[in-house]
Amino acid sequence: MGELTATHFLLLSAALFITGMMGVLTRRNVLVIFMSVELMVNAVNVSFVGFAWEQNSMIGQTFALFVIGIAAAEAVLGLGIVMALSRRADTVDVAEVTELRD
Amino acid sequence: MKDLLFLIPLLPLLAAVINSLFGRWLLRDLAGPIATVSVIGSWVVSLLVFIDQLGSDQPLTQHLYTWIPAGDFQIPVTLHVDHLTAVMLMVVTTVGSLVHIYSNGYLAGDTGFYRFFTYLPLFIFSMLILVLANNYLLLFFAWEGVGLCSYLLIGYYFKRTSATKAANKAFIVNRIGDVGFGIGIMLIFVKTGSMVFSEVFAQIPSVAGSTVTLIGILLFIGATGKSAQLPLFVWLPDAMEGPTPVSALIHAATMVTAGIYMIARSFPIYIATDDARLIISIVGVATAFMAGTIAVTQFDIKRVIAYSTVSQLGFMAFALGVGAWIPAIFHLVTHAFFKGLLFLGSGSVIHGMHEEQDMRRMGGLKKYMPITYWTFLIAAAANAGLIPLAGFWSKDEIIVGAWIDHSYIIMVVGLIAAFFTSLYMFRVVFLTFHGKERFDPNVIHPHESPRLMTIPLILLAIPAAVIGFIGFPPEDGWIHRFLSPNFTLDGAHEAAIASLNAVEGAAEHHVSLATTLTLGGISTLIALAGLWITYMAYIKKSPAFDPNMWAARFGGLYTFVSRKWMFDELYENLIVHPLYLFSVFLWRIVDAGIIDGAVNGVAGVVGFTSGRLRRVQTGFVANYALAIALGAVVIVGAYFVFASNLFS
Amino acid sequence: MTPEVLVFDILAVIAVIAGIGVVVSRNPVHSAVALVVTFVNLAGIFVMLRAEFLAAVQIIVYTGAILVLVLFVIMLVDMDDLPEFHGGAPLQRLSAIVIGLILLGEVAAAVLTRTVVGQPGPWNEETIAAAGGNVQVLGQFLYSGYVLPIQAMAIVLLVGTIGALVMARPDEPTTRAGGRTTGTISLGHSRGADLVALPSGAPPARVIHREDMRDGLVMVTSADAYTEHAAWAGTDVPSEPGAAEYPTGAGIGSEENR
Repeated sequence: MGELTATHFLLLSAALFITGMMGVLTRRNVLVIFMSVELMVNAVNVSFVGFAWEQNSMIGQTFALFVIGIAAAEAVLGLGIVMALSRRADTVDVAEVTELRD
Repeated sequence: MKDLLFLIPLLPLLAAVINSLFGRWLLRDLAGPIATVSVIGSWVVSLLVFIDQLGSDQPLTQHLYTWIPAGDFQIPVTLHVDHLTAVMLMVVTTVGSLVHIYSNGYLAGDTGFYRFFTYLPLFIFSMLILVLANNYLLLFFAWEGVGLCSYLLIGYYFKRTSATKAANKAFIVNRIGDVGFGIGIMLIFVKTGSMVFSEVFAQIPSVAGSTVTLIGILLFIGATGKSAQLPLFVWLPDAMEGPTPVSALIHAATMVTAGIYMIARSFPIYIATDDARLIISIVGVATAFMAGTIAVTQFDIKRVIAYSTVSQLGFMAFALGVGAWIPAIFHLVTHAFFKGLLFLGSGSVIHGMHEEQDMRRMGGLKKYMPITYWTFLIAAAANAGLIPLAGFWSKDEIIVGAWIDHSYIIMVVGLIAAFFTSLYMFRVVFLTFHGKERFDPNVIHPHESPRLMTIPLILLAIPAAVIGFIGFPPEDGWIHRFLSPNFTLDGAHEAAIASLNAVEGAAEHHVSLATTLTLGGISTLIALAGLWITYMAYIKKSPAFDPNMWAARFGGLYTFVSRKWMFDELYENLIVHPLYLFSVFLWRIVDAGIIDGAVNGVAGVVGFTSGRLRRVQTGFVANYALAIALGAVVIVGAYFVFASNLFS
Repeated sequence: MTPEVLVFDILAVIAVIAGIGVVVSRNPVHSAVALVVTFVNLAGIFVMLRAEFLAAVQIIVYTGAILVLVLFVIMLVDMDDLPEFHGGAPLQRLSAIVIGLILLGEVAAAVLTRTVVGQPGPWNEETIAAAGGNVQVLGQFLYSGYVLPIQAMAIVLLVGTIGALVMARPDEPTTRAGGRTTGTISLGHSRGADLVALPSGAPPARVIHREDMRDGLVMVTSADAYTEHAAWAGTDVPSEPGAAEYPTGAGIGSEENR
């Protein structure tokens, strides 16, 4: 713990990512799953910017910017799908939507 | 002349093909004449070839093509005629033509007419290839061909179960012999590097003695099957299920003699091995004796003649075994004629008695069928060996041959077999043609057969009577001189053989005139004794000779003999039934149980596994995401273990 | 312990705790709020990492737009108390936690034993300040070397918008749980019977007409007045519910609907 190094940021990124992943795997409410996915994306962003800071490069930040933009588009579409799903199946529980079975 | 050789087998083959393709709807009744004309054509060419061979010592050879050209293994299709082949050609085509003519009458109106005349010329073709072949493999091919045609013809009345079973039996028993024959041929190739006769025989002196004996025994096993010797004769009596002309041609004159011909052709092999020839002579004489005893107890007229054939084949075999080569072939020739005549005559009797075959229901047919009677009588007397008919000369020489070879026991057994021969032959004549009718003449009207059947009978009776004179004077007749080139070894060969084992070549077959006359007299006495006994038993009906009394006297022995020495029962219990049980085992347990079980088991396992694996597809997306996460963990872990220096 | 480390520790701990709160909250709104906290803290961390523009963008786009959208959807969608908090799928949860912890350990091992390869780039504090600051440098980067990705992202956003429009379009007239068919632009409540009934006596539908409007605006004031009539389809409003045919051939600006 002496100096602030990139390792700190990377460990933070890992913790956030794992947390988001566990949310994706565990929760049944589709909106909470979506929010967990956003958490994972942000963790990755932190990792990008952390490396950029360590390496004195701007590419990491550029990339993180693009990630945010794409995440915005993805959020719109994802939530549209959630709406359509809830309209059709009358539920937001992913355990109810099991038509891929058999 | 040698360019015409191919016509001999080709003409019957063409007739067979034409009849098979067009016989059923197009040719119908024409199939018979077509086949007959083709075989007569073969006879004409064979006659020309024979005349050519009469005047020359040069064999005729015509090479048609190479069947198997495989480096060192060359099998040509070459037709080769020397004196032995010329004699065989005449026998086959003469008897064949007469049987074809006879069959036109015998089978007239039968629905399978065209089928008969497809198989019969096909048989003639195979037999001709057999005697014309110049190498063992081609001979074996024709060997199988005659076996096949025998199967087809025995099973001609295929709607009768007994006929189909008899056909199967014939073919299968033949095949058992063919196993030995095949191994023998392979051994010949391995030891001498060729299968062509001339090349094989040139190499024989350089092959070890024990191997030559083995080859000889193996080849003889093949002959045992085809020529109905002791263990494998059981098919011949059952082969009487076929039409009578088939019996006359195949089971009297030609197919059964193929084995004898083959051994005679392999003379250089057999002259080099004493042991094989001893086995042949023992088997032959045992066959002759056994079949003779059985023939005395049979009541079906065709069965008696069938066992007679087996017995005479035994004579031929034992002649070959004791070194009487030319007498064996001589007997083959005479036998072809009188046995063929006997069969055709019995066919005429059966035809006239409206398919009755049991002699106990015949009798007194002499006045109804005179031509049949007289020809039959000539043939029977020839078979029994009454001088001056054909059978006497050939059979007598066989006995003399046994004497020369110092095989006295075999000679005595042969004489006993000759006694039985006379016994059963005259028994047949008296039971069938003499005495009172044992049937109601108002119900069955026996009649003489049509001319198409009686003319061949007459034509066969002539050689049956006189062809013996080709062997007169004994040991020095025309046939001896004609066939002696086949059975002499050239000087170097003979010296090599003689150094291996002390044996005399056929050329040194000398015996004093006194011995010949004595033995001839003994044979005649034996034949006359048989004639007298049957005369007393069946014509005079003398009580001392009553057959029923004698049968009762010998009780168990009589039953044993009349049941064909229990050979069929022996084979059934020892071989057939266990094989059948084994087949059932293979069917139920191996095929249905193991093989089907394995296949079904695999399907079952697959089904079971997929049923279990199906549960992975829960449809719940979170489970799939869990699987992805698990995969990521595993991959990263694998990377750490194998590709990084964390756990180096 | 330098002050940067302290600040980092505070921000990071709060972010992680809030992240855990996102995942374990029973009420989705609580999850959304926790997520806001996380994002704000991450913005702070971005500032520590000398990515000021990115921090601003994070606040504006992520918390200001995306999370608001999420909250909208949470409100619009009817949610039950899902059985996941009553013991559903224990094996899944347990294995998820185990796998997560293992992966965390692996990544931590990778991070702690990493070796840096390559040369650092040129953009340290002095050069960034010399170039005019974080925004200027970033702008230089984006609009010179990364122009095409910018354009591509614009297209992606456009496609996203169109997709959202398509998905939000009304369905074919379908029979819903309440037995009523609907063709309106409404995003559709699953159970129309849950709607609060308006005070009786109010007219079922009112047409508001203004001079500068080409077509009248239909205002529906009760659940019963759900109509197959599209809102833009003109002023002819059928008074009985559910009986009107869906107008065929009628569209915005068609003469017959005037």
